[in-house]
Amino acid sequence: MMSMATSQSLQSPFSITSTISSSQFRRTNPLLGHFSFKAAVCPSGLFAKENSSRTARRHRAGFKRRSSTALQCTASHGPTGSTGALTPELKATLDKFITSNKVVLFMKGTKDFPQCGFSNTVVQVLKSLNVPFETFNILENETLRQGLKQYSSWPTFPQLYIDGEFFGGCDITIEAYKSGELQELLERAICS
Amino acid sequence: MGSRAAGAAVMGAILSRGGRIKQKLEPILEPTSLEVEDVSYQHAGHEGLKGTAATETHFNLKIVSPKFEGQSLVKRHRLVYDLLSEEFKNGLHALSIVAKTPAETEGK
Repeated sequence: MMSMATSQSLQSPFSITSTISSSQFRRTNPLLGHFSFKAAVCPSGLFAKENSSRTARRHRAGFKRRSSTALQCTASHGPTGSTGALTPELKATLDKFITSNKVVLFMKGTKDFPQCGFSNTVVQVLKSLNVPFETFNILENETLRQGLKQYSSWPTFPQLYIDGEFFGGCDITIEAYKSGELQELLERAICS
Repeated sequence: MGSRAAGAAVMGAILSRGGRIKQKLEPILEPTSLEVEDVSYQHAGHEGLKGTAATETHFNLKIVSPKFEGQSLVKRHRLVYDLLSEEFKNGLHALSIVAKTPAETEGK
């Protein structure tokens, strides 16, 4: 059962890692739970320095502790952080996340605290239709943010996935809501 | 041909982002109608943009083109995004797109 506090719990990573064990952290965050810590993908910025000894044991390769307090992944970052962001491991993780949940919204902010008007619009539309949906706050993770742009071939957020397929951004969601197509698709997805 | 390309490059450097968007879309999509509006001021200060200049980051685009015939909305938007990929790398943050065919706008 997916925790509905998924996106909220990502908002304060330092307090999370200091108060709960990392296995608990992974269980409450389905997207992070799919991250292999041996893979060259790091939920960068999500582990505080005080846990670095524990996480260092898990991170087999591709990680380097920088002077900042957050462990950062080096394997998937180009000079600007955007080239090569979509590693095979990240792609597999995203594949799994969008197929494990019927409705997935990659957005700015969280379901309860959207941080962008476009993201908020899609959240409100989905809430008004009473469909269960998972969200992920792309502002929390730059690697995922850039990787998702390549994964979806879509340069902006929010990005809505229904039944494992990319549906569109805010404009498309609104159009489909007005035409009724969104409701039909959601119904089919939820019932299947 | 060479001078025309050089001229276009010069114009691209001088034009605002809105002008560059038009310049990139027009030759490929041959629109019957194209409106580009800079609405960056409406998004100044929101998360992800704090500390940056709030100019030329958010645009509204309305485009009517026969090239969209038979294409889903996602395909139409992807077509526009692909043509503007350089702009997205250089500070364009969001684009609100209304993409229709001439047939869809008739009778309105």
